[in-house]
Amino acid sequence: MAAEPTIPVTVLTGYLGAGKTTLLNRILSENHGRRYAVIVNEFGEIGIDNDLIVDADEEVFEMNNGCICCTVRGDLIRIIEGLMKRKGTFDAIVIETTGLADPAPVAQTFFVDDDVRARASLDAIVTVVDARHILQRLEDSHEAEEQIAFADVILLNKIDLVDAQELERVRQRIRAINAQARLHETQNCVVPLEEVLERGAFDLDRILEIEPNFLSEDDHEHDDAITSVSLRSEAAIRPELFMPWLRMLTTNQGQDILRLKGVLAFPDEEQRYVVQGVHMLLDGDHQRAWKPEEPRTSRMVFIGRNLDPATLQQGFEACAVRAA
Amino acid sequence: MATTAADSPLIQRHGRHVELEAAPTALLWLGTNAAVTLGDGRLCWIPDGEDAQPVPVHGGAILSACRHPDGTAIVTGGDDGQICRVSPDGAVTQLGHFPRKWVEHLAASPASGLLVAGVGKEAIAWTRGADAPSHRYAVASTIGGLALDAKGKRLAVAHYNGATLLYGTNPDSGRVALAWTGSHLACTLHPEGRFLLTALQETGLHGWRLADLRDMRMSGYTAKTRSFSWDRKGKWLATSGDAAAILWPFDGKDGPMGKAPLLRAERKGALVTQVAFHPKDEVLAVGYGDGIVALARLADENTLLLDTAGAPVATLAWNDAGTRLGWGCEDGRVGILNMDARA
Ligand SMILES: [Zn+2]
Ligand SMILES: [Zn+2]
Repeated sequence: MAAEPTIPVTVLTGYLGAGKTTLLNRILSENHGRRYAVIVNEFGEIGIDNDLIVDADEEVFEMNNGCICCTVRGDLIRIIEGLMKRKGTFDAIVIETTGLADPAPVAQTFFVDDDVRARASLDAIVTVVDARHILQRLEDSHEAEEQIAFADVILLNKIDLVDAQELERVRQRIRAINAQARLHETQNCVVPLEEVLERGAFDLDRILEIEPNFLSEDDHEHDDAITSVSLRSEAAIRPELFMPWLRMLTTNQGQDILRLKGVLAFPDEEQRYVVQGVHMLLDGDHQRAWKPEEPRTSRMVFIGRNLDPATLQQGFEACAVRAA
Repeated sequence: MATTAADSPLIQRHGRHVELEAAPTALLWLGTNAAVTLGDGRLCWIPDGEDAQPVPVHGGAILSACRHPDGTAIVTGGDDGQICRVSPDGAVTQLGHFPRKWVEHLAASPASGLLVAGVGKEAIAWTRGADAPSHRYAVASTIGGLALDAKGKRLAVAHYNGATLLYGTNPDSGRVALAWTGSHLACTLHPEGRFLLTALQETGLHGWRLADLRDMRMSGYTAKTRSFSWDRKGKWLATSGDAAAILWPFDGKDGPMGKAPLLRAERKGALVTQVAFHPKDEVLAVGYGDGIVALARLADENTLLLDTAGAPVATLAWNDAGTRLGWGCEDGRVGILNMDARA
């Protein structure tokens, strides 16, 4: 069967009041020539009526494997299948989540359900952060931290309400959690929508741009804090070692790993191999050919709790082809 | 089954194709008049030998459909929250409207006259002849499927973490909660009401023997089961979700417990998406994810090719007399097989 192109899905997270509704209203009202089906949890918040706005009920259920981190959003599976019946009437999907929602079940839905995977693909998780309240939020809730950890794109909004010093503290705290997301500083969520929507493949190339482990141990402020670890190898990675290593890692430490992404160069392989995961659920595929001028560097990023950069780097290096 | 390009499918000799411009979501029969509901909100009547006659019904997609209990019209549920009755003359009557909800499930029984719709976390019932909802049942989470037994009295509702059994004509009696972890997506009741089967998100079926509420697990499927069909005697339940149609035996009091299923119409690497038992003969129609439609005889391994490859088969149904078989594929192709012409 010829695979049809999948519909890109943007997930919008962030606390109530951070500016998600402002962003959503811009997506719905701006004349960008694209038609979005929007899945919201409270229709009342949006001022625009449109038959492509769907109410979600945020029904999360555990998979039957007995693991508490393996959860999916049943309502999203239903809604996406329903929307696909009116194929051709929209180009992309935006999913809004409630302020307190854990982003993992949303992301995992796109890895787990075969019918959803065949029709839609997670394009990016966009987290809207309120510059004035985020430091306090991070102290009282895990959700605020996880929403930043899961993000591919972060809109640091309401920057006009904080001074330069405070803004710098917020930036550093965000970077300590997620060094890899694209960060846009905004007022009223004013950012070109093409920086947010339909970014393509989780902005995977971004991980090739950032320097590994720029965090030093001193930046680690809290025992429970989420951090990101990035790994690189100039030597090609052997799939027969890498795949079992990654599987073992996610089986043993999956509850602590919120997200992982990688772009890998395998020996004698023209295609880049990309892998992504949420907790213990993984998805990997050949993506495109390496460009002639592109250095064949393999990179991985892990975002989660209790990550030990040295152990991860060692494990990753052990999968590399040894220099002769 | 051999399905090479050289095979000439039966539809070329004894049927016809009708191309519709939207995705079929259900195909139902009134006599020899086929009704195809579509993802663009229209219902298309396809009378024997005539052109398709589209009727605009819903604002968005038609998500569910069944025959009206009186047998003279089709009932449709849409993502516009409406439930409508559509007659072959094109008349559309609204039976209910639930703004901002999707009507994803409908079930009806000519025996009891009951019509039931699944709307979010509620099952809404119309008793015989009612043109407005008569009563409703709330369950704890969104309804995944509805089923009625042959008498149209026992109503099963599938949802997260199990199913609920109700009396569809009497909202105040006999509610039974059946618990099983997981998301239950579709359900079917044995015609005599002896067993309830649900399809699980993680693939496979869960079952309850209703006499003693004993649990059954039927696993081994590669994809979710979305289509169920009972043979006329209630002896076999055919199911989709694997490379073959999987048929579970229900003749004994234990049902399929401890028994192996029968596999029919297997095609390596393909996926059965729709199954429909002939109403009179031991013959099963099977639709696949690659658009192929075939007929399988229960008595032996013989299969007959009905239609060639295309988009996934989304709906498949016999008329009551067993003289017509209709199917709809996701790209809008509809096939109508005329068994009279074959005789
Ligand atoms: Zn898990
Ligand atoms: Zn802390």
